[in-house]
Parts: sequence; structure tokens; C-alpha cells
Amino acid sequence: MNKVVIVGASMGGLRTAESLRRSGFSGEITIVGAEKHYPYNRPPLSKDLLAEDKTFDSIEFNINKEELGANFMLGNPAQSVDISNHELTLNSNQKLSYDFLVAATGLRSRKMDFQNPVQSGRFSLRTYDDAKRIRSAVSPGKHVVILGAGFIGLELAATLRKLNCKVDVVAMEAVPLAPIVGELFGKEIQRRHEAEGIHFHMNNSIENLIGDKFITHVSLGDGTSLECDIFIEAVGSLPNTEWLDGNGLDKANGVLTDKTLRAIDLEGKCIENFFVVGDIARFPYVNLQIPARRIEHWNIPIEGGKRVGREISHAVKPGSVDGFNHEEPFNPLPSFWSDQFNISIFSYGEPKIADKVNLVYGRIDSDFIFTYHRQGKLVGAAGIGMRQGLNKLRSEIWL
Amino acid sequence: MIKVKVDMDKCQHYGQCVFEAPNIFKLNAEDKLEYLATTDDSEKSNVIAAADVCPMQAITFTEK
Repeated sequence: MNKVVIVGASMGGLRTAESLRRSGFSGEITIVGAEKHYPYNRPPLSKDLLAEDKTFDSIEFNINKEELGANFMLGNPAQSVDISNHELTLNSNQKLSYDFLVAATGLRSRKMDFQNPVQSGRFSLRTYDDAKRIRSAVSPGKHVVILGAGFIGLELAATLRKLNCKVDVVAMEAVPLAPIVGELFGKEIQRRHEAEGIHFHMNNSIENLIGDKFITHVSLGDGTSLECDIFIEAVGSLPNTEWLDGNGLDKANGVLTDKTLRAIDLEGKCIENFFVVGDIARFPYVNLQIPARRIEHWNIPIEGGKRVGREISHAVKPGSVDGFNHEEPFNPLPSFWSDQFNISIFSYGEPKIADKVNLVYGRIDSDFIFTYHRQGKLVGAAGIGMRQGLNKLRSEIWL
Repeated sequence: MIKVKVDMDKCQHYGQCVFEAPNIFKLNAEDKLEYLATTDDSEKSNVIAAADVCPMQAITFTEK
């Protein structure tokens, strides 16, 4: 009986398990998770879960546990794995042997290193528990300082502003989101946030936290200071791949894979029974001559999980998976969305690798679409509203 | 037979479902989602895929 062990009980792990069953896998599936929760959806954590103080049931994935027939081991992180003898060790010291291993351990929030070690008033957001902690601290009039003006930072700013907090956003770059969607787009987003009363401190940094038992202020790189009751670090994420140490994998930034999402070791050898799904997968471009990259977008674990489930079913019984072409490289079209106030952003492809950005439809102060080209080829399209126009551009993207 | 339901309070009309199950979902002239509430079993895997990719997780279905 074939045994699949999936390390990671979030969306990537879940979609992998579902894909296994749907593609005919009838062996044993074990899903190991560090968090104590069953798989749940993260995007609402910075949006309506936080805004409306919703509970876990509002984000929990709808799993037919009987149909899935998987053994969930939650609250039990992976500690190490020995790929050569197919054995995973958990924090509890339990050992699990496997025929196929799927790594889907996702990301954790990156934390800054401040001289003042004060923790009370300091937050980051990755998990349901993080979101509940933030919500408990929030009340109208509280001073929130968010470090980071990426999508999570901006969504948090909008949500907390709507909860009547005073919100300051501090970030290193000159214009929010400019590295991802371009300067014009980013400036407009900043303008709309400022219109709602959010203050930005761009080209800036946080020097230190001030406060003894709890944070009262933060000092900025430009010498000023801001009152602060709630400090949130939204400065990106780190892949959870420490448990894979000692196996000669290429894991400088997530785990390098081939075009079937199989892990590749430092000698360039593909590890047949070891797959990587989701945020930690550093998978190759198919059409572009750029090094492999991780994509932290929500549809990647879904597509990766689907692929890996089929790969394993195919490996167990070649030809058994209807319509599955094992030769076709894994090349999902990345997409992401962001909701901030009534700003509804959607993107296809990878705008950030573009060398040419153009506003092609609409108006910058209303709904609009930008196209992103790299060496003359369309690599991304992103905008606010104008859904059908954006969806029409999707098929022209070449990555 | 499959009954499809979209929670229109959650739906943000991103139209990702349209790519997975174009026989069932579409965006109309006002950029709003329209869908067939009933479809046959042959669409099951498409409906599942659509439910999976919905950013708002607004799609559910039941089998009769």
C-alpha cells in the first residue's frame, strides 16, 4: 500500500490530498501540520475576518473528511527528514515512513531585529491566531503603525482604518507597490489611502521600538517618532524549510524543483518521490530565460497541489490519470487580488518582471488596466475593476 | 445532476470560475457574475475546479 506524507496542512497540502483522491490514489495519506487548526483560507485574515471579528468557521475549508480519507496530525510540526531512507521525524519524535513526500510548509512572517525587545504591542500576520491577537488589541482611536507597504501592509492599513484606528504606514521604498505594479499604479493607491486618513512615511524605516512593558512609540529613520499602541510588521515572509536541512537540497530560497514540481538536489539530480507545493516551491519558468522563482500568490498552491496529486497517482499507476500529460511542464498563470477599502485590484502574470509598463484602459483616478511587457512580450496585466477587459488580456500572457 | 450555489454576498466578480467552468459561469455586460444553478454530472470536475479557484470561496455545490 503506497503511503503519501504531506508536510503542511494549509491550502497547498489540502489541495494535494484532494487531487490524489480525485486522480484515483487509494493508498494512505497523512497530512502533518504545525498549526493546530484544520486547513483554512488566509486571505480573509487581513480583510473581513479582522474587520468583522469573524471566527474560524468563516475561513475553514470545506473538507469532506470521509471522501478525503486522510490522517491529519495537527499541531505537530516536522522536525527533520531523511530523504535517503524515506523517514520524516516530527517534533513529537514520532517517525513516519513514506513512499512519497510532499513539502507544503509555507511561509512565516519575517521579523525585524530591534534593540528594544519589547513584545507587548508588537504583531505580525500570517495565521488565524495572529489575526485574533491583532483584533483583541484594536479599538477606535488606537495608534497603529504598520512597517511595510506591500499588499498585506496596505490591506491591514485599510481594515484598521475602517475600525477607526489612527494608521501610519512606514516603508523603505519610495512608492507603495511600485516594485510590483509600477509607480503610477502605486502612487494612485497611496493617494486613495491618504484620502481615507492614512499617513505614509515612505523612503523611511523604523529605528527602534520605544516602551518598557509595552510599546508607546516607534522611532523612525528620519529622526522623528510616532505614537504607537499597535505595531505590525508586514515585511515579507520566510519559507519554512529548515526541517529539510541535511539532505543536499537546493533550498537557498524555498526548494528548487523541476518542471514537475519534484525537488532537485544541489547536484542537479531530481528526487523522484519528493514533491514541493505552494509558497516554498521555487519552480522554473517555462518560456523565459530567468532563474526559477517562488511565487507567493494564492492560486499557486491550488495549481501545484492539483499537479502533484496527479503526478503521484501517475507514478503509482502510469496512464491511469485521465487527461494527464506528465510531459507538460508545470506552468500555472499566476494571479492575485487585493481588496483595500473599495479598491479591488486584480493581476495576472508577473507584472514585476516587466521592463515596460503602460496604462491601456480606463483612467488612473477611476477604474483602469495596466499592461506589463518584458522584451516586447506581455508578461502581466493588472488593474482596478474592468474585469472583462483584464480577463481578455489573460490569454495573451507569456511566461 | 449538480446544483451550483454562489454566495453573492461573498462574490467579488473576479470571474476566475469562468475560466474553469465556462459552461456554467460568465461575467455579463456589467462585469457581474451570472451562473447556471443546475448542471449535469459531466461538469462536476469543472465545478470543483471553479470552487477551488474562487478567491472569495463563494461557490458550493450539491449532487442529486
